[in-house]
Amino acid sequence: MKDVARLHLANWVERLWAVLGSVSIRTKILGIVLGLVSLFGLTITVQVRTALTQALEQQLQEQAISVGRDLAARATDLLLINNLYALHELLHDTLANNPNVRYAFILNPDDAVVVHTFGEGFPVGLQAANRVAASDHHNIRLLATDEGPIWDVAVPIFDGRAGVARVGLSEARLHHTVNTITSQLLIIVVLIWVIGVSAAAFLTWALTRPILQLMRAAQAVGRGEFNLHLPRWANDELGELADAFNAMTAALARAAQERAERETLRNQYVSGVIAAQEEERKRIARELHDSTSQALSSLILGLRALSMMPDDVPRRAEELRQIAARTLDEVHSLSLQLRPSVLDDLGLAAALERHVNDWRRRANLHIDLALSGFEQRLPPQVETALYRIVQEALTNIIRHAHAQTASIYLERRDHSVRAIIEDDGVGFDPRTVTHKEGHLGLYGIRERVELLGGKLVIESAPQQGCSLLVEIPLDWEGSALTCPSPKFYSPMTTPSFASACASCLVRSLT
Amino acid sequence: MGKIWLICLLCVLAACNQAPAHEVISLSALQPLPKAAEQTIVPLRVSVAAVISPKGTAQSYQALLDYLSAKLERPVELVQRRTYAETNALVEAGYVDVAFVCTSAYLDGAARFGMELLAAPQVNGKTVYHSVLLVPAKSTAQSMADLRGKRFAFTDPMSNTGRVYPTYLVKQLGSTPQEFFSEVFYTYNHDDAIRAVAEQVADGAAVDSLVYEFALAREPELAKRVRVIHRSPPFGIPPVVVNPEARPQLKAILRDLLYGMADDPEGQKALAALGIERFVPISDEAYSSVRRLFQEMHLLSP
Repeated sequence: MKDVARLHLANWVERLWAVLGSVSIRTKILGIVLGLVSLFGLTITVQVRTALTQALEQQLQEQAISVGRDLAARATDLLLINNLYALHELLHDTLANNPNVRYAFILNPDDAVVVHTFGEGFPVGLQAANRVAASDHHNIRLLATDEGPIWDVAVPIFDGRAGVARVGLSEARLHHTVNTITSQLLIIVVLIWVIGVSAAAFLTWALTRPILQLMRAAQAVGRGEFNLHLPRWANDELGELADAFNAMTAALARAAQERAERETLRNQYVSGVIAAQEEERKRIARELHDSTSQALSSLILGLRALSMMPDDVPRRAEELRQIAARTLDEVHSLSLQLRPSVLDDLGLAAALERHVNDWRRRANLHIDLALSGFEQRLPPQVETALYRIVQEALTNIIRHAHAQTASIYLERRDHSVRAIIEDDGVGFDPRTVTHKEGHLGLYGIRERVELLGGKLVIESAPQQGCSLLVEIPLDWEGSALTCPSPKFYSPMTTPSFASACASCLVRSLT
Repeated sequence: MGKIWLICLLCVLAACNQAPAHEVISLSALQPLPKAAEQTIVPLRVSVAAVISPKGTAQSYQALLDYLSAKLERPVELVQRRTYAETNALVEAGYVDVAFVCTSAYLDGAARFGMELLAAPQVNGKTVYHSVLLVPAKSTAQSMADLRGKRFAFTDPMSNTGRVYPTYLVKQLGSTPQEFFSEVFYTYNHDDAIRAVAEQVADGAAVDSLVYEFALAREPELAKRVRVIHRSPPFGIPPVVVNPEARPQLKAILRDLLYGMADDPEGQKALAALGIERFVPISDEAYSSVRRLFQEMHLLSP
């Protein structure tokens, strides 16, 4: 039973909330104000009416008794000397001087009406409606009459020896007074009601106008319009809300602008990547055509000549072996540039040493390389990223920095890997990096770092050289290919180096 | 929900106006009052002149009336009127069977229609009384002469002690009450005259000595508030009278009853309530002196 009742209650609450919750704030506030004013006003009215009626009825009863006693006292001698006219006058004076008195009459000891105020005739049943014992002080009764309730008091005169005085006091004036006061109270309630409605209407206007504006502004922001500015309506919570909203809009606008810039840069980067890829293919094709095809053609021609000139075989064979060896070297170098197998086989440290040694041979640059804590292998994506970052950075230094010296320092820490790549070249203004074209290399580094949850700090100034600080966490749970935002980090747009990213891209695609 | 609230509200409001569940009396539908039923037993009607207040009279005479009722085995009704003249008229008309009247009323009744003496109360062994002239205790007046220009209270226009004798005193001083006093008013009984002096509403009043002494006995405080400055010669005491044409048998029965009261313990109680010792026979001669006074004042038709 209890559960059923609780279910019913919950049902009711739900229904009530469905109704209350669906109306507008304006209706809610108006409803609360009207409800409170009505409840308060009606409670006061009922309470005042009840208390007033009780008090006035009490007063009326006391007045009835007092008038009755007075009449009895003043009628005593007149009754004893049988002064009927004076009695008649006394009754009419009593009636005239007490507006609540509806009637008065005197009974003699034989219970016959001696004088009364009704004129011709006497109401049926009135005389018997109230009795009093000679020994009693008085007896008061509420009589129902055709003119409404009447408090009838019977008072014995001269201990009943001279008779009984009776007066009837009507409640008509009492009810008139109570009704007048009630109607005045109700008028006041209605006035307060009107004032309350006006105040509530103003309040709801003042409250809902900012909220509606805010709603429209939020919709505009949703559509991507960041240029609107909400006024500060008042110096209160709503004003603070407007300020907060404006601050949010401004932040969103800035964020949108930055995102657009990065998008532009990314698009340029992707175009660059595609172009580089094409360039790389052309180079490989050219390499294959110019070197390997030439070498193989020479080998074919040499072999054909060898078959026609048997006496010169050893010398020709030696030439052909050299051509084949050279071709093998070129193919080996080509494959090394595409993807150094040493990185997969021996690890980051060995791959970097080999790469740096290669650059030391090829470029006129002094390169320091220091590695610390790479006794154990790193996760493959971190090794690849760091290898490509160093490769890209060195490419940048050699192409743009005009540096004499470069230093590369990699350190494995407990939970991260840190790389610092410095040069003493021409430097640049880092603020221009994100805004200008032509810094796709640096952009690629940043993308790689951010893909692995790491950070990149660029410290540089014109003629001050450049320092890149890269830190990649090792316990970061994400990976390059499981990034939560596939729109920006899909395999197609996974960043790689401008010059040597083809293999990376191919790996990513496979 | 709204309906339930409305009903509750109406119930509360209705409770305030709940009418009593009695038979409804119509105050506008009037019917003639029933005629007083014919009395099958005719009561003995006793009238007492308004010497003291009607209420005081009713209280004092109740024991006597009860005694008479018991002895006669017949209801007795007390009939009071405002003035002596009205009481006399009741006696003359035969409406009352027996009346306790004032001396002056007897003189008037006797002269007018032969009012007949039935008995007289005896107080202190005598059947006489006086008129006493009272002033407030603080007053410096020593005689009627000192009350010139003051306010004076008469009891009844016909009263011997309350009006005739003080008027006589003023006349002795060569004036009339209207000239002598600044203001004159009637209290219509001796009790109220005494009270008027005690309350200093009046600067002087003359009252029945029997009433005054009875009042002092009942209310000793009065002695501190009023002072007697003059006492008249004795006058015949206010008698008990009957209509001359009353049945002789009734007269004889009443005489016997009244004379015998002092010998009956129940009768003694009734007499004590009136402050008298007994009822005694009295003749018209007892009123000669007061009759002369009245004649001198031209108050009686010759």
